Amino acid sequence: MKTPRLSPQTLRVLERFLERPTAWRYGYELSRETGLKSGTLYPILMRLAKFSLLETKWVTTEDGVPPRHTYRLTPNGAALVRATFATTRSALKARRPAFSGGRA
Amino acid sequence: MMPLEFPRRVATLLLRFAIWIAPHDTHDWGHGMLSELHHVEGNWAALVWALGGTGVLLKHAMLAAVLPGSHRPSVSSVSELFDKEGPMRKTTLAVITSCVLASLLLFLAPVFRQAFRVSLAQWHDVFHVKGSFGYPSPDPELDALAKKAEQNHDAEALAFVAVRYPNEIQRARLAEEAVHLDAHLTWLYAVAGTAYLSPSEIDRRVSLLKQWDPEYGLPHLFAAQKIGATVTYTKEFPLGKLLQSPAWEKEMDAAFQSPKLDNYLDRQKQLDHRVLSRYGLDDPFQAASEDWYGFPNYGVWECSLYAQSLLESGKSLESRGDPKAAFEKYWVVARFGQMMGDGAGFTFVMRKDMKQAYTRLGALSQMEGNNAAAAFYAALAEQFDKAADKQRLLLRNRLEGSEVSHWNAFLVRLSGLGIIFCALLLLLSALGLVVRSRSLRLSSLHPSRLTLALGSGAAVGSLLSSVVLFASYWPYSGLLHGFLSRGDDAGLFELYSFLRDTQLPLGSQFYLGPGSWYVASWNVVFYFWFAVTILCVLALLIAVFRHFHTRLGPRAA
Repeated sequence: MKTPRLSPQTLRVLERFLERPTAWRYGYELSRETGLKSGTLYPILMRLAKFSLLETKWVTTEDGVPPRHTYRLTPNGAALVRATFATTRSALKARRPAFSGGRA
Repeated sequence: MMPLEFPRRVATLLLRFAIWIAPHDTHDWGHGMLSELHHVEGNWAALVWALGGTGVLLKHAMLAAVLPGSHRPSVSSVSELFDKEGPMRKTTLAVITSCVLASLLLFLAPVFRQAFRVSLAQWHDVFHVKGSFGYPSPDPELDALAKKAEQNHDAEALAFVAVRYPNEIQRARLAEEAVHLDAHLTWLYAVAGTAYLSPSEIDRRVSLLKQWDPEYGLPHLFAAQKIGATVTYTKEFPLGKLLQSPAWEKEMDAAFQSPKLDNYLDRQKQLDHRVLSRYGLDDPFQAASEDWYGFPNYGVWECSLYAQSLLESGKSLESRGDPKAAFEKYWVVARFGQMMGDGAGFTFVMRKDMKQAYTRLGALSQMEGNNAAAAFYAALAEQFDKAADKQRLLLRNRLEGSEVSHWNAFLVRLSGLGIIFCALLLLLSALGLVVRSRSLRLSSLHPSRLTLALGSGAAVGSLLSSVVLFASYWPYSGLLHGFLSRGDDAGLFELYSFLRDTQLPLGSQFYLGPGSWYVASWNVVFYFWFAVTILCVLALLIAVFRHFHTRLGPRAA
């Protein structure tokens, strides 16, 4: 399966999704949590959705307020992200320089 | 003060616009960003949010324009594609047809055809098609009119051609023929074909002009110019020699003493109006002649030179104690200057001489105790000064043209180019479609998205260019119509200025520089067309790349 390029910003977004893998998240909420602007966040979300790692849904919250677009990792997406994080962590450990003082 | 909600409103508008132009497959995302806008805290933060979202959607819109297929779901067959996008295709085809028909219908209007011809004038110099104001070369329309006029023995039409013909020898010949047919056109000798004539021929023409118009000063100036030319070409003290030439002085004296000074401009305009109406000519380049700056320029230098010699002579007489004779000399200069100011356009050239003449006239009057006369001359000097200023400004405006005419000329050139470019693009799209479908039957034509995008873009572009061309040229067609139908020449200088600009190829510049009236910057033209070529090559590369991308993509999969 094809996967999107995982930039540090993408990893940051995925990390947030992994905190509550089954929860639907709002765009603005993600933006605040990751500190990414809409111009950076939405291309990441769109790319994840294109590769079927993310599913989207419209939800109605309260009367008079337009429905909101929400996002959640697909089971495939969650599995892939977990695997990616595991690989990334081991790679980071392997590359840790001797003078880094033991911090990962 | 700006309302607090203003940034949020702008943010909403921005996102709505971005959604409107974004491709369909990104609409959900766009609406998602828009709905989140209601939850963003702070008005300025909302604007920043919308700007980011707008940027994302615009990027997708641009990508969709260049690579229309790359952001859409793939389809398994051509029939599926056609079924899915049938209504869109029909609408697009209807838009293309409507735009092309509307553009073609505009060509039925004579004003639009005229505007299109004017928009093509920028290529005349590039391809050496016909003569223009600055660069004489053969003009087929003038040739045809000259032949017709010669066949019909139409003296006025011959005179019309003689004034405009780029070849000086032909000008002289046609003028001769016109005057031979109608002696009332003898004034033509002073206007057309003054160069490349033998001295004997000039003498003959001057003699005829003097007989025909004994009261007017212009023939004398014509004669003085001829003498001046022969004297200055001796290369030895041209100025001194000229002033020592009795024949030149005689002619200049006659010119300065003549009761009238006519530049024959009104006669020329009336003749133009009659000929244009009679032959049904609606070519604006023929109607707006470049020679209408007033006084023929060959007389200006001579006049100023002679005025200076008269002033010097007056001063000399004053120093010798003959104020009466000096007064006469100054008076001749002042009188001629006033006469020039009434009908000629180069009054400002004699400004210094006139000021001096009036000053001396005032001083001499005061010496005689005639203070009223002195005040009168001072008032005349001031009046002349103002008139000279006004004329200089007018002439400069005529040479430079107004900002409006520069802009309109630019729009006319650009839209004319746009029409040609769009027509070529449309033709290429149609050819590509026929070649790809290998059929001319409408039902078997299956345009690709790129073909449709190019075709619809070209059709809309051609209609837009046509409308811009029509609107930009419309005021000038009114000026031309006013002259052709009523002989109203009030707007002809504006028309001339506009037409002069339309003859410069797009990308070149027109400006007044020190010592030069206009300089067309050909380097700019080169760089402009170089950039256009590069852009065309890039567009072609993208099209080829896309073609292989769409054809090889499914095979690779």
